[in-house]
Amino acid sequence: MSFPMQDEWYPVAMLSDLHRQGRDTLLLGQPIHAARDPNGIPIVTTQNGQHLVTIERFGHLWTSLGTPRKDLFSIPEADQPGRTLVDVGVVRVKCSPLRAVENFLDIAHFPFVHTDILGAEPHTEVENYQVEIREDSDEVWATKVKFFQPQAAKSAEGGITTDYMYRVPLPTCSVLYKTCPPRPAEWDVICLFVQPLTEELCDVWPWMALFDDETPLTDMIHFQQLIFLQDRSILENQLPRRLPLDPGMEVPTRADMTSVAYRRWLKRHNFTYGAQLVAK
Amino acid sequence: MSMPATAWWTPVALSADVPPRMVIPATLPVGPIAVWRSQSGQVTANHDRCPHRGMRLSHGFVRGEKLSCIYHGWSFGKEGGCTAIPAHPKVTPPASIHCGVMPTVEQDGLIWVASAQPDTAPPVFDQYQPLRMLNFCACIDRIKTVCDASSRDPATDTYVTATLAGFVTRLIVTPLNETETNVFILVSPDLSTDQKIAISRAAEVLRNLCERPSPEGQQT
Repeated sequence: MSFPMQDEWYPVAMLSDLHRQGRDTLLLGQPIHAARDPNGIPIVTTQNGQHLVTIERFGHLWTSLGTPRKDLFSIPEADQPGRTLVDVGVVRVKCSPLRAVENFLDIAHFPFVHTDILGAEPHTEVENYQVEIREDSDEVWATKVKFFQPQAAKSAEGGITTDYMYRVPLPTCSVLYKTCPPRPAEWDVICLFVQPLTEELCDVWPWMALFDDETPLTDMIHFQQLIFLQDRSILENQLPRRLPLDPGMEVPTRADMTSVAYRRWLKRHNFTYGAQLVAK
Repeated sequence: MSMPATAWWTPVALSADVPPRMVIPATLPVGPIAVWRSQSGQVTANHDRCPHRGMRLSHGFVRGEKLSCIYHGWSFGKEGGCTAIPAHPKVTPPASIHCGVMPTVEQDGLIWVASAQPDTAPPVFDQYQPLRMLNFCACIDRIKTVCDASSRDPATDTYVTATLAGFVTRLIVTPLNETETNVFILVSPDLSTDQKIAISRAAEVLRNLCERPSPEGQQT
């Protein structure tokens, strides 16, 4: 069976934790094995021994079950010298991979889910921001997003209004650019790479490229894991489990413009693995 | 197993288990619900799903007379209408944003909910008061068999009589699905605390017995 999402790139392992014995895992419901060959080259094989295409980038091993139309996206900012690249690890979540991405694009939940860290009452208002589906790159972008945060990053002291940009280059990946407290002219880069195991189960690999010479790596990882575990308590309790792509099932507001554009973009491309359609 | 065709009351919790400003999950034959008690003491039952992004409202929080979703803080009143969307504090939510509310009655220490308004009130259990609710991984017929089916109230079929720790108790047995049943234990109000604890422990033994596979060949 062929479907559009099988021709996209997905993360399947963290390169710093990939060894000869490898990792048995799933991609879009298909069993695969990610490992290193005797020369240390990462390989991904299917159950019948077929070798899949691979790319090593952003600290992770990427693969595809089909034929990707284009190279894996790039993040030029992540190549700037002086950034600390943080492999956060993996978090398994019993939810649709699309719901995991949509939650990452959402800021309105900060005061309630990441209370006193990424948001706090009464600073709940989401101001208007810009959303577009960029035709040239075929990516969803949200810009001029602003939100008040009590502790925006491990390196932040006290509350600040944080600027954000969100980018969706692939159906299960998102890149977040946010105010970098030690270097106001630059953006911190925080990524959510989601490996769809099945339509209702995923492995989430957060990855970061930050300007932060002060905070120990362990603390940065703990901070990001704390945030994502708070998100998991939401993601595993949404009904229906699959992301509704047709209107009527859920009620968006202006604050959800990114989510609305993401759903529209998914539907336009028939990226429906993990989605619920009325017709189904 | 057949569900009543008409709307009927289902016990979902002991009143004592839902103090003011508390929300809990519960199950009706029609699906999951969120049962909550406001600051002033009124009990409400909603569909356990926020209309915004589908989050379970039973994970939410109660402030004053409102239930709020834990995801984005959307608030709902006792009639189910959305009263506040924190992302847009200056906007009055349209009346179309609504979370279904079900008929609820609190009576003699039990909270009863129905998917639609029944014609009559929930049953009254004179001389008995609720002690505890247990969830059995057993079907209702199995529980009736273990408790001796002949002792159930033939007129209404609303309860089973069981002797626990030497005391006569009444069990309201509520099927959730083919394999799960909620059991509310009702006892005489005259019992001492020690006696109630003994009954509570005996109820756990009963649960173990009901959850054990039934002997081969014996019809349950």
